[in-house]
Amino acid sequence: MKRIILIGFFLVTVLAGTAQKIWSTRTGQVKFFSKTPGEDIEAVNNEVDSKIAQANGQMVFNILIKGFRFPNALMQEHFNENYMESAKFPRAEFKGFIINNTSINYTKNGTYNATAEGNITIHGVTKKVSIPGTIEVKDGKITSKSVFKVKLKEYQIKGSAIGDTVAPEIEITVNCKYQ
Amino acid sequence: MRKIILSVIIIFIIAGTGYWYYAFVYMKNNHRNVANEKAISISANDLLKAYQSNEIKANIDYLNKAVTVNGIVQETMVNQEGKTAVLLKTTDAFAGVFCTLINTDTSIVVNSTVNIKGICIGFSGDVKIKDASLIK
Repeated sequence: MKRIILIGFFLVTVLAGTAQKIWSTRTGQVKFFSKTPGEDIEAVNNEVDSKIAQANGQMVFNILIKGFRFPNALMQEHFNENYMESAKFPRAEFKGFIINNTSINYTKNGTYNATAEGNITIHGVTKKVSIPGTIEVKDGKITSKSVFKVKLKEYQIKGSAIGDTVAPEIEITVNCKYQ
Repeated sequence: MRKIILSVIIIFIIAGTGYWYYAFVYMKNNHRNVANEKAISISANDLLKAYQSNEIKANIDYLNKAVTVNGIVQETMVNQEGKTAVLLKTTDAFAGVFCTLINTDTSIVVNSTVNIKGICIGFSGDVKIKDASLIK
């Protein structure tokens, strides 16, 4: 009897342990891509902070604007000073939930569709968004991936080249591997 | 009169070529090189405290500036681009100073004391440093 209670207790602890798993990364990757007939502009950030709570699908992303690296240093400067005003708004973030979290099996390898709903803040402007993506489960680790578009106008991002060599709509690619 | 027009055209061509060269060739190969800059020296603990107590003030003091951070290595990792990243320990168990090195450096040992020089890019739970390198 004592043994059964002990085993039961052990099982409950283990289950509670997995249910409370918080996946996190400090080295997530977010890229953005602007495509116009005149010019393709791409920048990468490799120091994205992100966390996902396995139990309820809560997720958070924190991105420092000055962490975006452009192939061209002058573009990087313009991006920071004229477009994102990163001295005033150093950080972009997303806070929300994976609304279909129950359909993701975090213990079984596979690629699961995941829709994230929450608030995104860019350039000091916060908007409610719904973003489609996937959670990939592979050998006990997970990767969150998403490709979505952001209209610069909606976030009050102004810059002389928007509509010219900078596309009015930018494609964001998220690729974060969690531990 | 013709001479003036001709010289104006020539000046425009030279200026145009010059700008083109500056914007698309020179700047492509001349990213800010923090290694040659004079840096603010600070401990990992003090830098994190500065951000935790007043982020706006800390941004004025440190954002986009060259800093040399002194601290103990808590963890090293390789980011998704293959670069080495180092987390410096602080008295806060949940936060530190997170430095992404400009190159891969496998010589960094956990629990060793290091000085890392780079550009401070702000606060997102950790204070983050980019384009960093180890100072001997």
